Amino acid sequence: MAAPARSLERFALRALTIADSAFNRLYGWRYNPLYQSGTLVTALLLVLLITGLWLIFFYRVGTPYESVAGITANPWSGNWVRGVHRYASDLAIVAIVVHAVRMFAQGRSWGPRTLAWMSGVILLVLVFITGWTGYVMVWDVFGEVLAREGARMLDTLPILSEPVSRAFTGERPVPSVFFFMNLFAHVGIPLGMFIVLLLHTSRLARPALLPPRPMLWTLVGALIALALVRPVVMAPEADPLRIPASVPADWFYAFWLPLSRSLDGGAALTGAVLTFLVVLLLPIATRRRGADAPPKSVVDEAICTGCRQCSLDCPYEAITMLPRTDGRADEVARVNPDLCVSCGICAGSCAPMGVGPPGRTGRDQLARVRAFIGRPERQPGELVVICCERGAAGFQRDLENEGAIVYPVDCAGSLHTSVIELLVRSGSAGVLTLACPPRDCWNREGPRWLNERVYHDREAELQARVDRTRVKIAFANASEPGAAQSALRQFQAQLHSAGALTPESTVALDLECDPVPASAEE
Amino acid sequence: MRRALRVVPALIVTVAALLAMAWGSTAPLRVATADDAILRVSLGARPERIEVCREQSDEELARLAPQMRQRVICEGRTAQYRLQVHRNGQLIHSQIVRGGGLRQDRQLYVSRDLQVPPGAGSFAVHLARIDTVAQIEDARDDDDDEDDAAPGEAIIPGRAAREVDERRRRREEAVPATLGLDISVTLAPRDVLLVSYDAEGRRLIARRADGSPQPP
Repeated sequence: MAAPARSLERFALRALTIADSAFNRLYGWRYNPLYQSGTLVTALLLVLLITGLWLIFFYRVGTPYESVAGITANPWSGNWVRGVHRYASDLAIVAIVVHAVRMFAQGRSWGPRTLAWMSGVILLVLVFITGWTGYVMVWDVFGEVLAREGARMLDTLPILSEPVSRAFTGERPVPSVFFFMNLFAHVGIPLGMFIVLLLHTSRLARPALLPPRPMLWTLVGALIALALVRPVVMAPEADPLRIPASVPADWFYAFWLPLSRSLDGGAALTGAVLTFLVVLLLPIATRRRGADAPPKSVVDEAICTGCRQCSLDCPYEAITMLPRTDGRADEVARVNPDLCVSCGICAGSCAPMGVGPPGRTGRDQLARVRAFIGRPERQPGELVVICCERGAAGFQRDLENEGAIVYPVDCAGSLHTSVIELLVRSGSAGVLTLACPPRDCWNREGPRWLNERVYHDREAELQARVDRTRVKIAFANASEPGAAQSALRQFQAQLHSAGALTPESTVALDLECDPVPASAEE
Repeated sequence: MRRALRVVPALIVTVAALLAMAWGSTAPLRVATADDAILRVSLGARPERIEVCREQSDEELARLAPQMRQRVICEGRTAQYRLQVHRNGQLIHSQIVRGGGLRQDRQLYVSRDLQVPPGAGSFAVHLARIDTVAQIEDARDDDDDEDDAAPGEAIIPGRAAREVDERRRRREEAVPATLGLDISVTLAPRDVLLVSYDAEGRRLIARRADGSPQPP
């Protein structure tokens, strides 16, 4: 099962990268809805909550269809609110699916992220059930189809003595208690969803819950406009003794109906449960094991100064500060391997280079960049482009054709600023860092921290002695060679206009860039 | 101006996506796979019980807690029935109907949609008990004599009589050993003919959306 799941993961990543690129061109990376899929879901849930609270005042369990018809007939405070409620629920399904595909494709569904994946799948199911109950509440022909289909599946369980389907046969009116229970579920499940949402984000530091404000208000405005342009209309009332040829169905919630209706109730229920279980347990198939498993960060306690920066920067709250036991007064960082996803952000945040995944700590980065600087074919005055391996590193040839030298790193967010300094001060004309767009960072906050370290003196900052005209940060995702080339050309022009194409004079790099001089190590 | 022009494609895509979503929100779903009519059999009835009853001796009753002293105890199960549906003399459905619940000791329930061709047709729906139910001899049916009162009577007066009444009531409420409905109707495409059990009249009845046909 692991091999097909990994193949699916790779395919999903290719498709997602192309889609990301297209949406970046349309909306820009700041407002790319694919990047914001998770926050859009929360925003839509809030819209649903607010509009739902309004609609519930007018809903009557004794006369469900008539009360909804009354809401729909009111153009001022009914119809458009119902429209927003309905369209927001549809868009929520789309956003959840996009978010799940994104997390799956980027390998962010297993390991310490398993909890988020599983709670996310449960959230999706809860949204489905809530939507289901919402349509049944209306008790139009579509609601009846959904109710009958649910009842048909439930009736295959041997736990209910009276088949649920008998409530919808037309033998007697559907009891009000059914609509009351339905309303209770429609209100109660979303309240439970907010608790699951807390669980979903519980392992994230600083979870982004809402999209940027311009995007949020555009979303609300677009939903209202759609509700006005395409107002919701009432379908005929449910009548168990008349079978309509077709019903107006919400395919976001009913896409499974044609398949389900062609199956026996038991087979349909089994299929639904199996699908749920397969998706829920997908991390078992996709997780990396053995040598494939990414190494967890470790702390060199002799170097750790207890500055807390790694603990602050870690996007997954995997680092805590504990009192030292070796007699020193400071605290010491401790990595919880159960929470560490091996993103390496801590390596970039530690000025003395005392933390990070083995092989990717600041010291390892320095050793690597020294080897890069010392390679025989190196030309003074060359322009170095640091690229994320998952992003712009894929366009190495394009960038080299533009006259740059590509230096790939696993994540720009884990880049220690000493690497940039060493590159600049060892004779490069300039250093351009091409990071993934901030909302696309696989490690959540990499570009943000890098930007703050370079330009805003965040701890582990790029030293003031480094000429900022020779340093630039830009963004490009893995299918945007044009964006990468454009950023490079702009940087070249910037260097040219600043007259910075001549490299800095050689300095005592070993003394200035190495935070722990060789004498201290001894 | 250039910025405004850059917004246009995004606007077009957004509007198109929203309209597509609105269409997907109300796109037609074909419910009826064919123009067949539906014969819907929906029953809920209390089954007869196949049970052996015996009287407990005074010694047995004395060993029980007062509230547990029940003169006649019965053990058994509910009867099974066969439901058969014929259309124009041809069997179109047959099933064994057992009591509901895991222990099959609840009411009989049937909820079945049968697709039938539209047009005129005669339908015969029959429910018949399969098991042989021995006539339950209840020696106390006509004997409410308090002289035979169980030891618990002193605590719960009239209990024996109530037990007898309860057993009688259950027997009377049980579905008859055979039930049948023969009806000729003309069904339009996608019409539903509902056949259900009238517990008060202890008979099968048929109904359509317009209220016809009347119970035979």
